[in-house]
Amino acid sequence: MGKPCHFALFDLQPAFRLDLDQLAARYRERVRDVHPDRFADAPQAEQRRALEQAAQLNDAYQTLKSAPRRALYLLALQGGELPLETTVQDPDFLLQQMQWREELEELQDQADLEGVAVFKRRLKDAQGEVETRFAACWDLPGQRDEAERLVRRLQFLDKLSQEVRQLEERLDD
Amino acid sequence: MAYSEKVIDHYENPRNVGKMDAADPDVGTGMVGAPACGDVMRLQIKVNEQGVIEDAKFKTYGCGSAIASSSLATEWMKGKTLDEAETIKNTTIAEELALPPVKIHCSVLAEDAIKAAVRDYKQKKGLL
Repeated sequence: MGKPCHFALFDLQPAFRLDLDQLAARYRERVRDVHPDRFADAPQAEQRRALEQAAQLNDAYQTLKSAPRRALYLLALQGGELPLETTVQDPDFLLQQMQWREELEELQDQADLEGVAVFKRRLKDAQGEVETRFAACWDLPGQRDEAERLVRRLQFLDKLSQEVRQLEERLDD
Repeated sequence: MAYSEKVIDHYENPRNVGKMDAADPDVGTGMVGAPACGDVMRLQIKVNEQGVIEDAKFKTYGCGSAIASSSLATEWMKGKTLDEAETIKNTTIAEELALPPVKIHCSVLAEDAIKAAVRDYKQKKGLL
């Protein structure tokens, strides 16, 4: 038996645009059904199966709730998995990424929390823009290259927003 | 994760960090990135009339291994011809820096940056 698709586990159709609240609610529902407490008196095989299901649900939920991971998953469903480690040559985008990282370094040196807030809003806008473009093209024939380029951009932006969060924590201390 | 002494040396004292004018006709710029870890690497070369790389600069946002790989790449490229520089392999970089298997992709990124910089220069000069 093949592994069920992550979306099917939550009775959802594969799509990039997702209602994350609905996803979270369905995840909590499904996980409750396989909670170990419910299987305390069940035979070991059933207990093990419940644990496996809980792990599968968690894996699916973590994948779907993150925009870049969801995007990668959709492309994998559609036309095969993308390599994990790859070199991207997207000069204009990478140049901008480098400039933004330089800016972030300056904000760190100056401990400029207000500047970080502005930076974060701009980053969020950029993420929103790439997500919109991805949502419009990922399932169109002939658009695979563009969808792959966009998902790679989402990965870079996601990494950058993690760094912004870490910087905020450091500046808060 | 434990870094090798050579990685730490390049990380703490990176060689040739800097920027050249990308519009200069004698400068080739390679811009590459690794989406999974978010690394961004810029490697630039300045080539003289004899086709020899007389200077190389880099800027890398990424882990210690990525910084060390690009730092080492600029050291090795200086004084080499374009053809010689293109033969620098990621495996040689990884070996020199004693990179662990999970960091091999950092040396791949450096090799790809070298190739991209050489290609950019050749394109500018109409050599491709």
